[in-house]
Amino acid sequence: MHIQVHGLPLEAERPDRVAATPVARAAGAADALELIDDPQEWSAFSRPWSGDAALIESSVVVAGMQCAACAQGLEAALRAVPGVLRADVSAGSGRASVVWSKDATRPSGWMRAIERAGYTVLPANDSAAHAIRQREGRQALWRWLVAGLCMMQVMMYAYPAYVAQPGDLSLEMERLLRWASWVLTLPVMLFSCAGFFQNAWRDMVNRRVGMDLPVALGLLITFAVSTAGTFEPQGIFGREVFFDSLTMFVFFLLTGRWLELRLRSRTAGALESALNRLPEAVQRRTQDGSFALVAARRLRPGDTIRVLPGQAFAADGCIVQGETSVDQSLLTGESRPLPLGQGDDVIAGSHNLVASVQVRVLRVGDDTRFAQIVALMRAAAVAKPRLALLADRLAKPFLTAVVVSAVLAAAFWWPSDPQRALMVAVAVLIVTCPCALSLATPAAMLAAAGSLARAGVLLRNIQALEAAARVDTVVFDKTGTLTSEALRVDLLATREGISGERAWAMATALAQHSLHPVSRALALAGASAAGPQRWTAQRAVEEVGQGVRSWAAPGQADAPAVALRLGSAQFCGVAGQDPDTGHIFLSDAHGWLATFSLAQAVRPDAVSTIAALRDSGLAVYMLSGDGAGASRAVAQAIGIDRFESGRTPAQKLQFLRELQSAGHRTAVVGDGLNDAPVLAGADVSFAFGPAVPLARAQADFIVAGGQLIRVAQTLMLARRTMTVVRQNLGWALAYNLACIPLALVGWIPAWMAGLGMATSSLVVVGNALRLSRGLALPGPA
Amino acid sequence: MEILYLLIPLSVMLVFFILGGLWWAIDRGQFDDLEEQGQRVLDES
Repeated sequence: MHIQVHGLPLEAERPDRVAATPVARAAGAADALELIDDPQEWSAFSRPWSGDAALIESSVVVAGMQCAACAQGLEAALRAVPGVLRADVSAGSGRASVVWSKDATRPSGWMRAIERAGYTVLPANDSAAHAIRQREGRQALWRWLVAGLCMMQVMMYAYPAYVAQPGDLSLEMERLLRWASWVLTLPVMLFSCAGFFQNAWRDMVNRRVGMDLPVALGLLITFAVSTAGTFEPQGIFGREVFFDSLTMFVFFLLTGRWLELRLRSRTAGALESALNRLPEAVQRRTQDGSFALVAARRLRPGDTIRVLPGQAFAADGCIVQGETSVDQSLLTGESRPLPLGQGDDVIAGSHNLVASVQVRVLRVGDDTRFAQIVALMRAAAVAKPRLALLADRLAKPFLTAVVVSAVLAAAFWWPSDPQRALMVAVAVLIVTCPCALSLATPAAMLAAAGSLARAGVLLRNIQALEAAARVDTVVFDKTGTLTSEALRVDLLATREGISGERAWAMATALAQHSLHPVSRALALAGASAAGPQRWTAQRAVEEVGQGVRSWAAPGQADAPAVALRLGSAQFCGVAGQDPDTGHIFLSDAHGWLATFSLAQAVRPDAVSTIAALRDSGLAVYMLSGDGAGASRAVAQAIGIDRFESGRTPAQKLQFLRELQSAGHRTAVVGDGLNDAPVLAGADVSFAFGPAVPLARAQADFIVAGGQLIRVAQTLMLARRTMTVVRQNLGWALAYNLACIPLALVGWIPAWMAGLGMATSSLVVVGNALRLSRGLALPGPA
Repeated sequence: MEILYLLIPLSVMLVFFILGGLWWAIDRGQFDDLEEQGQRVLDES
């Protein structure tokens, strides 16, 4: 085992050669570990842990984990290190998150513990991590192909023995066929099974029971019996050979493992693509105006960098030169390219699509929105669902019971038939591998989290999927969720003789001189509503909180300018108006000209979202801090009949508590800014909106794009996920319970045991894979 | 049927040759990314 450290030039040594000479590496590995204690080095994969300044959370890639039991053992080994507070290991994504104290230990301390436990550890998010993943993939493919090819040929040699009548096959010919089978089984044992033996040996050395121990025992016994049958037919093991069963079993098992590896890389794909999205090197402008290539880690706020089309932005910043289109789909879920120009903000991790731009860096490293998203996704990937924890706890006693019962079964059959005794033990060992049981929950949850991430929904806590599946009431906090931040402006009435287009043109001319949100909304709406008419305003004066007054004239030359006022009723001198209606007025020297109404724009997909939630049998409530009139208007527009208006945050929380005490499980959707206490009080919380402050948002789900329908889709996906988990657990349990008795009485031959075990794992994984197809539109199912 | 005494050892040798070829291909990364190489044809740069 060896350690590769970020930034060390290890490429000179071929990875496979390195692995082949562990002794030679041992001395060098110690030095490499010391290097990583430099804060410059570990800060690349670590971040401060909330609460205490001395606590650091580090994320590392651990290679060599096969199952839940491995992850559990590694966690125990890490927690035993003084100074390590928490360790979360996910076998599913091959990642570990370690919380350690700067005062009590160094990264090399706990990394040695991982190494001692028999795994290879790498700092996450660097190129060495990618290299090790690639090597694992190649190795898995090689092992699988060897097993497959040799299995086919061994079948061919075994076939004559099955079909031959007595006397057809001469003794020499039979011996030749067996000899050939043995030769071709050797590479299967040496290459394909190496992983099982390594893992089993590691488990034995560490006094653990892992999933590979029964498999390795079964393989060794079968091979020993068959070898004895080939070379010493008169021995106590009889003259039977099982090379065909053996190779077929290995092939089935490796097929399952290989598919699992692919599923893992596919579902963790969103996470991986996020981690590898930032470029390693960037072009930074130097003093003399030329550009030099520097490491992305060396960037500081204030630097100017050049980003070419096809590259990703390395930091949050502001475009200072050039125009381009940017793909921000990973960060916002928005799939359309966004046109951006000078002065617009870009976020790290998004892709520059069209043209070269220069960007002034505003935030780097952990301060970027990208880093916050990645941290959230990592935390979600290692947090374990409750059901998976249950499977972990059960695995060890279960496996111990399997080994013991196999030994007992062998002891029972031995006096009458030694050969049969061994084959029964092999069948028991193989058929009961609880791979499917421990895969059932994580596979489904990972697949669902991958789908969500691709749709721009970030899962902060994977447990939330369980809770979300049981939700029966959805409460929307109106502002920022059902309504967008943008205001909608409509023209209500004009003075006789004044066309609507003219009123719009006049108002727009004035509004352009103000930065007030209402003015900006009016100017935006007026740009299209005014038609070809254009007015220009001169000497505009804004009176804060009241309105704008100005001289304005139509676009044509020599037209006389008129004095116009745009603003509140009082400002424009319009009498007899309720000041609270949210209307804006336009007036000239003769008095009232036009009235504009102001409303919060309802999100385009709000209606369909509410309808979809209703169709799925969920109750929908709306809470609002606005007045009753405005709330009713919005509620009617989108079809919510139950709403509460004029509520303070404390009252909203009170309302939520009442719902919960009535037995409802509630999901709250808020913008994550003003409603933190309500979100925290909910069973499941969604922070919604393009401007969610990720670092502060305590929500379970973060819907980063502007699509409300994702909330409904997420709830539906959570329900489907829990259905799949229940199916998986049920299937795995039923399979194991049915097969153990059959194997004990000797009714299942070894090859059938291998087929059954591989199939049960594949059924579980394939079932989970259905969830990674994406978010379906919830229909009236 | 005496020819089988030659053919069976030959078939074993053949399997080993094929395995050697597979090892060579995998080690050079020919199976690392099955999607990308096909799409490279369409990439002009």
